Amino acid sequence: MTRTRKPGVSRRATLAMMGAGAVTFATPWVGRAQAKTIKIGMPTILSGRVAQLGTSSRNAVMLEIAKVNAAGGLAGRTIEMVIRDSKGQPQEAARVARELVNTDGCEILIDAEASSGAFAVHEVARDLGVLCIHTNSETSALTADPKQHIPNAFRTARQGVHDSIVGGSYAAAIAKAKGLKKWATCSPDYAYGRDTTAEYVTYLKRFAPDVEIISESWPKLFQPDYTEVVTKILQAKPQALYSCLWGGDLTSYIDQANIYALFSQMEVFAVNMADYTALTVVKNLPKGIHSGNRYIKTYPATPENAAWGDAYKAKYNEYPTNWSWENATAIMLLAEASKKANSADGKKVAEALRGLKIKSPFGADGTVTMRAEDQTLVGYAIGWGTTIPQEPYVPQVQAGDWKTIFELEAEWKKSKGYA
Amino acid sequence: MTELQAEQGTPALDVSRVEAKPRRNRDALIALAVFVVLALLPMVFSSKLLLDFVIRCAAYGLFATSLNLLVGYTGLTSFGHGMFFGLGAYGFGLMMQKTGVPIPVAFVATLAITFGVALVIGAICVRLKEIYFAFVTLAFQMLIHSTILSWVSLTGGDQGLRGGIPRPSFWGIDLSNHLHLYVMSCALLVIGLLLMCQIAQSPFGYTLRMIRDNATRASFIGIDVWRAKLTIFVLAALFASTGGIIMALFVSGAYPEFAYWTMSGEGIFINMLGGVTTFLGPMVGTVLFLVLNDTVTRLTDYHGLVLGIVILFFAIGLRKGLMDFVIEWYAQRRNGRGERD
Repeated sequence: MTRTRKPGVSRRATLAMMGAGAVTFATPWVGRAQAKTIKIGMPTILSGRVAQLGTSSRNAVMLEIAKVNAAGGLAGRTIEMVIRDSKGQPQEAARVARELVNTDGCEILIDAEASSGAFAVHEVARDLGVLCIHTNSETSALTADPKQHIPNAFRTARQGVHDSIVGGSYAAAIAKAKGLKKWATCSPDYAYGRDTTAEYVTYLKRFAPDVEIISESWPKLFQPDYTEVVTKILQAKPQALYSCLWGGDLTSYIDQANIYALFSQMEVFAVNMADYTALTVVKNLPKGIHSGNRYIKTYPATPENAAWGDAYKAKYNEYPTNWSWENATAIMLLAEASKKANSADGKKVAEALRGLKIKSPFGADGTVTMRAEDQTLVGYAIGWGTTIPQEPYVPQVQAGDWKTIFELEAEWKKSKGYA
Repeated sequence: MTELQAEQGTPALDVSRVEAKPRRNRDALIALAVFVVLALLPMVFSSKLLLDFVIRCAAYGLFATSLNLLVGYTGLTSFGHGMFFGLGAYGFGLMMQKTGVPIPVAFVATLAITFGVALVIGAICVRLKEIYFAFVTLAFQMLIHSTILSWVSLTGGDQGLRGGIPRPSFWGIDLSNHLHLYVMSCALLVIGLLLMCQIAQSPFGYTLRMIRDNATRASFIGIDVWRAKLTIFVLAALFASTGGIIMALFVSGAYPEFAYWTMSGEGIFINMLGGVTTFLGPMVGTVLFLVLNDTVTRLTDYHGLVLGIVILFFAIGLRKGLMDFVIEWYAQRRNGRGERD
């Protein structure tokens, strides 16, 4: 028997082609649903004057990612970080964030931007609906203002208003004990400096009503010379000085004020002193500067915190920064949330994140909580102490009371029309 | 002007008027074709990156081309052009956030504000020449930037306009839909370029070139140099402001960096890349700049170094922008062939 072949495409070939077509079209979706890796995008500042913000954030993230991946990743999917520089420009931050999600296929964003960049990325998260964790912006309004609220954005950074409440009450106790009534302030001239100082003074006066501010200085951000500021403060002869200068500005200020022996003439409260970026750079760190904790491995004084600080130092040959613990916390929370949700899906993880309490080396009581109502971190270690010129730099830190913080924060929200 | 010269001048003027109309029609047709191609792009390429890229091209392109009207055509090197970009972004953003007027109203009102501000600033600046002009524009830019930073209750200070820009739909256009925003940006870009091209080709455009080449001579033949410079300063500001509006819509906010001197610097950089002697030079420069920026930041943290080398190559190596180089090379080739024939 001879077989006759009809011209054209055989049924078998048609079926095969249809099958192949179906597979081709279906593969990306199947592949996506079961991808072994999950990409997390991270726009941050890796160049310019605050490049340390980006590098120390990146270091902490990579340190934690290695641990999470070793333990099986996010719900069985290995994490791959895609980290890109925004140069500190908000429009670049927005572009990079969009690119990370739309082109690189990142399913989660870690927004390690500062101030305005964080708000730009927040708008991208609002637009694209992608899970986003802000790790460096301390501006209270980012989560406190209901207009900003979106269900897919969280914050694992400290918050300006928390710092002010704790700082104000700590300073007021000392002001009362030592009779410090005449105060001066010296803070950088931009939103963070102005807002933080105003809030601090509000709480200082609330706890110690007879305090008066007799001199205010507003040096420019990144100003190299502080001579006129220092002499202005010395001439005003205050009994105490508050400053929220940070990083290189703070260290330049201290070095220059040391020449005029400013620190022996008044009590100094510098909220950003107790961070290794400032402590290890100042030439002669004066004894007895009051500071809030940013990150030091001796507070909270737990073995977990010390071990974390040492592990970071061992890997990167420098101490972690305030930004480091904030970013590490984001990864720790993500890992726990995906375990709880048994999924790496953004929506499910976001659901699990709300109200999630995890063990943390940076917690005031060994835990931190992602507060459900405004999706911001609470319960982190926050306190004030005085400096000594050598390690451990701030030997005794007086812990802030979270109960008081919650009460006053609720009041503050009402006064701002946020609640 | 002698009678003889006047007689000779008249027919020449007629000729250019006769030529102007077909040319205008041709430009309009090209613009329409470009718009159709751009608008159809998303159907061919589904990449969202491409849409984002073109939207940013529209914002930067309008900004850089309008700067070229000052730098290339009039010889006014403005170091403060970014202030109008920022003004557009803030004006539009604030209008949408605070008043809730329809988008076209906010758009026109923003241009009206820019017009007023540019008129005042321009009236002071264009009296000056060269480096003095550059520095006074820079000073005004810093004034506006500082105002944005310190007027926290209105502008949000260095945090920028927060909370997103609301975009109620109008005439069936919904700008919160990314595709609509894309088509809208393309339309604004094409219309903007077409208008600027008409300005450059008009008798007024030739007056500007004359002022650039010899302002004294221009004033001697009866041109009010100050008024011409002021007019182009204000017109350029309007187009830069439109660029700012597109950028504000893209990032759904406005930030003080838009009005900072680095923005003006990027405009100058783009003009250097693309070249200032052709109308499309800055547009080519914009594409080049954004492609460079996007790819280099993807590949390395040392993007500053790479961009610096590129600008050195253009400044010292080519000694002109890319379009200038291409046009010259093309002309040389044609001449060369002509000689051989």
